[in-house]
Amino acid sequence: MIMAEPAARQDPESPRPVDEEALVRRARRGELEAYDELVRRYQERIYATIYHMTSNHEDANDLAQESFIKAFQALKTFKGGSSFYTWLYRIAVNKTINFLKQRKNRTHMSLNDLDFNAEHDPDLVALISDKTPRREAGLTELQEKLNEAMLKLSEPHRLVVVLHDVQGLSHDEIAKIMDCNIGTVRSRLFYARQQLQGHLSDYLGPT
Amino acid sequence: MNESENNFESLRRLLALKRHEIPPPGYFNGFSGQVMSRIRAGETAESRETVGSSWLLKFLQVFEAKPAYVGSFACSMCLLLLFGIVYAERPDGAPKTTFLTALTQPAVSLADATSPVLSQSPAQTGLMVSTNPVLSLEPVAPLFGQQNPLALPVNFSLPGN
Repeated sequence: MIMAEPAARQDPESPRPVDEEALVRRARRGELEAYDELVRRYQERIYATIYHMTSNHEDANDLAQESFIKAFQALKTFKGGSSFYTWLYRIAVNKTINFLKQRKNRTHMSLNDLDFNAEHDPDLVALISDKTPRREAGLTELQEKLNEAMLKLSEPHRLVVVLHDVQGLSHDEIAKIMDCNIGTVRSRLFYARQQLQGHLSDYLGPT
Repeated sequence: MNESENNFESLRRLLALKRHEIPPPGYFNGFSGQVMSRIRAGETAESRETVGSSWLLKFLQVFEAKPAYVGSFACSMCLLLLFGIVYAERPDGAPKTTFLTALTQPAVSLADATSPVLSQSPAQTGLMVSTNPVLSLEPVAPLFGQQNPLALPVNFSLPGN
């Protein structure tokens, strides 16, 4: 299973907006079954965003649950100006950034295992084959170094990389979630990539 | 922008590794259940609060949320206590006498209208009215030194004796 695939690839499977609106309306009336359905739809993407921001499974679990609970409590204030998905993302992102600010300099990584497909991902195979003779050890090492490098970025820069390069959201969607303009998203993404390239230069092949 | 995208191609390939990081198997099967049970538990606790002494809880929650309120509340209580002590220990002055006179006056006029016995001054009758000042400078008539006009002698002699 690949976690939180880019939104563009998920489009055919994504729920129709009408269905979502109906679910939101029912959940606003206090129907927990409807909200349960909404949680199931977005749990993987919300968890993945928080996990990639914190690099810690336990923290991501707590924050994801709290985000869904807070969203349910604030559902009456949701006016429908944006999609429920964007609104929910905003809650999760704000919660995570507040958490990271409080936790500053007390980073503890608790990384999830890599799935079976990682070993067969052609991009990754090509990337590590030159570097390490033992493929599996190479992947684990890469995973740790990558997460360490991500944690060195500031929260807004890390968030842009997670949402764009890991989760595949468009600049426009990211701008809505982060409540800023597209230009800011682009410049943050460029700066964050530069920083990451500097931190991971030993593990990246020639461009 | 395309040039910069090409420059970051290997980095983007490496970032793809993040998508392969997965939580423990079956993690998402129980996730929504946990969220829903926490929401239900929150709703139950909320309804209990509204039934119970919610005003007291809200009052205490204000202190929990803002510790500065605890200090200001304690200060105001201390000031109130101090003011009470100072006021109580203040020497008797003109305003106090006036206050006491005003207190006794209506009692006398009320007695005037109801009973001729009570219309006499307290010193004369030896009676103490509840509105009299506790510390009166006027001499109080002794209870057994002179005959009390309200106490009538009783004759227990049997007829025919």
